Amino acid sequence: MKNLPELKKSFVAAAEVVGAQVVDCKGLKQAVDYLVERVDGSLLCPTFVSGEKNGLADKLKKAGLKVVTEDFRNQAASAQAGITGVNFAMADTGTLALESTAEDIRLATTLPEVHFALLDPAKIYADSLEAVEPLRQLHQRDPRNYIAYITGPSRTADIERVLTIGVHGPKELHILLVPKLSNDPLEM
Amino acid sequence: MNKQRSKDYRQRIDKALATPKLQDALHKFGDAFLVARGNAFAKYDFEAMRDEISQMKTSVRENHAELLQQFTQNAEAAGATVYLAKTAEDANNYIAELAKKKGAKLAVKSKSMASEETHLNIALEKAGTKALETDLGEWIIQLAGQRPSHMVMPAIHMFKEEVAELFSKETGKTEQAEIAHLVEVARNQLRQGYLDAEIGITGANIAVAETGGIALVTNEGNARLASTLPKTHVALVGIEKLVPTLEDATKVVRVLPKNATGQPLTSYVTWIRGAVPCDGEEKDLHIVLLDNGRSTLAESPQCQDALNCIRCGACANVCPVYQTVGGHVFGHIYIGAIGIILTAFFHGLENAAEIVRACIGCRSCVAICPSKIDLEEIILSLRETIGEEEGIGAGKDIVFRKVMRNRKLFHGLIRAASVMQKPVTRGESSIRHLPLFFSSLTEWRTLPAVAEKPLRDVILQQEQEVKKPRYRVALFGGCANDFLYPELGLDLVTVMNALDVEVFYPQEQNCCGVPALYSGDKETAIELAKQNIDAMLEGNPDFVLTTCPTCTMALQRDFVEHLKDNPAWAAKAERLAEITVDAAGFVVNQLGAADQFKQLAASEKVTYHDSCHLKRGAGVWKEPRQLIETAGHDLVEMDHADRCCGFGGSYSLTSHPEISKRILGDKLQDIAESGASCVAMDCPGCMMQIRGGLEKQDSKVRAQHTIELLAEALRQKK
Repeated sequence: MKNLPELKKSFVAAAEVVGAQVVDCKGLKQAVDYLVERVDGSLLCPTFVSGEKNGLADKLKKAGLKVVTEDFRNQAASAQAGITGVNFAMADTGTLALESTAEDIRLATTLPEVHFALLDPAKIYADSLEAVEPLRQLHQRDPRNYIAYITGPSRTADIERVLTIGVHGPKELHILLVPKLSNDPLEM
Repeated sequence: MNKQRSKDYRQRIDKALATPKLQDALHKFGDAFLVARGNAFAKYDFEAMRDEISQMKTSVRENHAELLQQFTQNAEAAGATVYLAKTAEDANNYIAELAKKKGAKLAVKSKSMASEETHLNIALEKAGTKALETDLGEWIIQLAGQRPSHMVMPAIHMFKEEVAELFSKETGKTEQAEIAHLVEVARNQLRQGYLDAEIGITGANIAVAETGGIALVTNEGNARLASTLPKTHVALVGIEKLVPTLEDATKVVRVLPKNATGQPLTSYVTWIRGAVPCDGEEKDLHIVLLDNGRSTLAESPQCQDALNCIRCGACANVCPVYQTVGGHVFGHIYIGAIGIILTAFFHGLENAAEIVRACIGCRSCVAICPSKIDLEEIILSLRETIGEEEGIGAGKDIVFRKVMRNRKLFHGLIRAASVMQKPVTRGESSIRHLPLFFSSLTEWRTLPAVAEKPLRDVILQQEQEVKKPRYRVALFGGCANDFLYPELGLDLVTVMNALDVEVFYPQEQNCCGVPALYSGDKETAIELAKQNIDAMLEGNPDFVLTTCPTCTMALQRDFVEHLKDNPAWAAKAERLAEITVDAAGFVVNQLGAADQFKQLAASEKVTYHDSCHLKRGAGVWKEPRQLIETAGHDLVEMDHADRCCGFGGSYSLTSHPEISKRILGDKLQDIAESGASCVAMDCPGCMMQIRGGLEKQDSKVRAQHTIELLAEALRQKK
């Protein structure tokens, strides 16, 4: 059996090393509160299963956030942040896996400066080799794929090898650990 | 040899050497890289991981046709268009035609070495499509009108002030030379490009046959944008990037960033299969599989392992030559050790002819290669090919073919030199100055004088009183020990006798052949191998001892390789390889006798220099340290103990003395900073280089062979 507390601990440590901010949330409400404190521009909220199931977009709207749920091609460039779920994660490198074939998931996680990711800690695998199983299942389920492994915010060291966070992708990655969101790695 | 080409190459070297800021940056990067890499691999077994990758990539090479077919079928089934381009021109034409068909004014590109290889941007420009590089380093290079000087960090040779100047021209206002600001400028300037471009062009780190998908391993997020926003996606992929399964791909992904930049993983790994949704339609995905010399490389038995490369660039990061001159000298499009090989096959032998000689042969790249490619060996075989095509130079030709193969003539000439050198040695054992046009040879290090009597003579006069010898061993002196440092050979006899081992010196032994081999004259190397095999096996010794690790590699590895297909010689070569062992390793491993030197020495602060071929060739590095410490010395580690001293035989004497001098400078600094009064080593070549450098600096630090220290300890006991 998986040692969940241990996996969670090493996931958090690895994600923090690469500059992600990881927050332990008791439930979705705490996650929404966290966003309210940090977002004042528009927030891209694409469609994903665990978000739908839990009425995420409505909850965010009710909390007073400017939530965008469509027309991402025109909205994404000026949006402040995007929020998505996560299919699964890998503890050793602090990595998130997002099945991003739906274009809105990609737009919400590439163009805005901030990415909030909701992760059920039950979906943390030990490492990338163990995670080949769900990676393959996603390939078997869908005929076409765009699957993103995300480890921390966007970064570069191309000028004088000095590590600088936030080049073309998000400058901030917030990982919100929300239990009982979805324990299925095939659904986001 | 092409004179103009050589002249241009020399000029590039001089220019690079006149840029100390560049060398400083590359040295600092090399140090920081090793620390970060060490941390990234801390929990992993690198050796096991690279064994796996090497085996997997080798099997891919052997089953390439089937895997390529599987990949193509799967990719096409997922809606991609796959095109197999035979040449760079073929790939460029395909992509340029596509751009024309799409009426594309702008293509955004993420980093792709394959597109550098084919000069795709120029082809697109001709077709009326502007190619915009979006990787920060590539964009800087594009604005500067240069080519990358590193495969992973293309602009590693540039400084923030230069970048600020380039960016200021682009934005039309003065941009501060502050890195965070410059990165922000790039973000803002390039953003519109993704939205406007009709085509996104990426490379791929991996192509997965199982799925027909590709994987992109990136940090900045530009490849995600370039593969998402434009309606057409072109991925230009070298055919060697194929792997069978997702497990195999994951194993590559696991190692690549750790070995490239010391990152546990890049910010993004993107798995793309097929025509994914794009603005309410389907993406038009074209996968251009690039051959361009790769199939030819696959068919070269000597060089084919180079196709196992996963393009991490680590071979450059650790290379002392790269750190001294950078990738604009030590490379063509691809740089560093792997760059030499890829250049020969992708861009023609002509473009590799100069840089193939730039390798000093230290094997630091071999030790760090995640695909376990013996880069040095492949480079040597290319050198041989170029030697055959272009000749190795008239002077060398006469020395190797006419002189060295005739042992009596060769040794006679060295003896004559001992007499002739008297005016410059002034009766000392080192030559501090040489007259006239030879003077540059002794400008930065003294050279050892040829001994009055070689080891092969004096050893006969050394009495050996070993009552019940445990072993009878033959000493393979090698030219340096024989003619420059005969006292080292006598010390070896002293040490061995004290351990009840009798030593004899086969008189018919000749040069080990490495100088000829490294110069591209394999024929002479083979002839010398045969002479030495007969000479060394003749007295039926229990072991053959060496004091020079480069000779050790010749006897243990090269002779076997040269003669493996020759039935008359193969078994004898194997036999010699089996019984050949370096002196320090012999004392510790075969005799188990380290303790016999316990606390014999008058303690001195000693630092140890690892000779390239001893540590990375013979795998011996603990043994000499154990002997030095056991003897009672205070062993202190210098920084970069296993970094090359810059000798490399003719590398430092004739082919690249100016680079050799800089590498020696680094070593002397590390020795000085260690605070030791003696630097020990196990190689007469390193002794020649380091001792010569120390003497020229009038340093009080002495340079000694470990065997000399042991003999000294025995004498101090008495």
